[in-house]
Amino acid sequence: MPSHWFWWALSMACVIWYSTITIYVAIKGARDIRNMLARLDATRKEEAER
Amino acid sequence: MTNFNWLLDGSIVGLYLLVTMIAGLMVRKYVGKVEHFLVAGREMDVYLGIASLAATEFGIVTCMYTAQNGYEKGFAGATPGILMAAAMAGVGLTGFVIKPLRDSGVITIPELLEQRFGKRIRWASGVVIVLGGLLNMGVFLRTGGQFLVLVAGLNVRYLEIMMTALLVGVAIYTILGGMLSVLVTDFLQFVVMSVGLILVTILILMNVGWEKLVTTVETNYGAGGFNPFVNPTMGWQYVLFNLMLNTAAVLTWQTIIARVLAAKDTRTGRRVYTGTAFFFVCRFLIPGIWGIAALATLGPVANTLEAMPSYLSTAVPAGLMGILIAAMLAADMSTDSSYMLTWCSVIYNDILAPLRKKPWSERKGLFWNRTIIALIGVFLLLYGLWYPLKGDLWTYLGVTGTIYLASISVLLIACCYWRRANSWGAGASILVSAIIPVTYLVMEQLPATATVAKTIGPYYSGIATYVLSGAAMIVGSLLKPGVHSERRPANA
Repeated sequence: MPSHWFWWALSMACVIWYSTITIYVAIKGARDIRNMLARLDATRKEEAER
Repeated sequence: MTNFNWLLDGSIVGLYLLVTMIAGLMVRKYVGKVEHFLVAGREMDVYLGIASLAATEFGIVTCMYTAQNGYEKGFAGATPGILMAAAMAGVGLTGFVIKPLRDSGVITIPELLEQRFGKRIRWASGVVIVLGGLLNMGVFLRTGGQFLVLVAGLNVRYLEIMMTALLVGVAIYTILGGMLSVLVTDFLQFVVMSVGLILVTILILMNVGWEKLVTTVETNYGAGGFNPFVNPTMGWQYVLFNLMLNTAAVLTWQTIIARVLAAKDTRTGRRVYTGTAFFFVCRFLIPGIWGIAALATLGPVANTLEAMPSYLSTAVPAGLMGILIAAMLAADMSTDSSYMLTWCSVIYNDILAPLRKKPWSERKGLFWNRTIIALIGVFLLLYGLWYPLKGDLWTYLGVTGTIYLASISVLLIACCYWRRANSWGAGASILVSAIIPVTYLVMEQLPATATVAKTIGPYYSGIATYVLSGAAMIVGSLLKPGVHSERRPANA
């Protein structure tokens, strides 16, 4: 076990968690943007028709 | 001498800037109303929220002060990040304050406070939020410019030009697209920023090595480099002040809260909090490791704020240097755009709008929002140029942030959960919370009182602000004659 295990474990957790969440959020976030813009577009068209 | 290669690294940075600007400008067509401009029509979902919150809360300034903490305090310097992550997870899991806030459907915190404490308190809280927020943000530009100039090896006299160019680029897409542009660019910036942060950290861990980082901290700070309670520059007062500061920030910092208010529903807002919580540990620990690596490699330096960028300028090879600078630009741009938009929302919604008898039309509302953002940009340039930063950066940010964090967190908790809270208590709390930190900042700047300010220190002054602000709310509310409760708590 490396010295000062608490800080070692926390540092490793940061690198691993951050790498994983970046990939996950990059994929899911792109989908969120597409859906958000589609909803806003639909609302805009509805309001224009009224 | 720096490893920055203008052809290779310059192309990476140029490509990043081009893509960001295009993305930021493309979504401006969706902005038809003030609600679109300020809270993205409340259409934000969880993962976009996580990306946006993480990108907003990590700027170059964050990287600089957390690295400075690592350099000056060792691993113990990451303590505020752990405290903030705990506060974020706790609030996200329980919905404490943020649930009634999002359920109320307001655009800003002072708008909710008006429902409980009246128009005057809404206006006064708007003023302290903007005062604290702008003073806090005032140092962002200079610090960001300092980093870029040092890492890219530019002449220091280009610092002002770098600052201006950075701000103008960000202001253009924020003025045109508001929160929609902020969210979309934040997403891109989160990805670029994260890739840069992770790659540089892996490089440092491989090149410097864990054992050398630990030995450096042990040699320079002993046990205090690992434990904040035994560190002579920290101690219980540092931990307590940071616990109060970070909990208040999680509950009321307008740029964080803006993500809850832009979320499509309360559950989404809470999930954004729990999903982003651990990022706040990374936010302190990753640059903290960079700071420790700078200490291990460069040894003692005169300006501890500049140690990390000076170290990176030679430690990071060409190619990765371009990614690092693009990552830091991404971090800075996302922070600047969100902060400008957020303070603009409070100035428009809580300081200017209540003064009008008839509300502005959507068109005029958008015009005023855009004008306010441009004016904030001008203020940031002027303030960033002349304010001489004394002491460490994190403490300055903590003290200026406390101007509003202490009172607004007290007001918000009381507004949501204490039936007897009223406008007298709210007014007293705002007053106390503004007076103590401003007095401390002024004392710190004046030669005649600088020694007294140093003796008191920022932590005791900060703790006093939170405690006395809470006490002022209780005493003021109980002193007001007549009905015990003016209006129902927001969660009732």
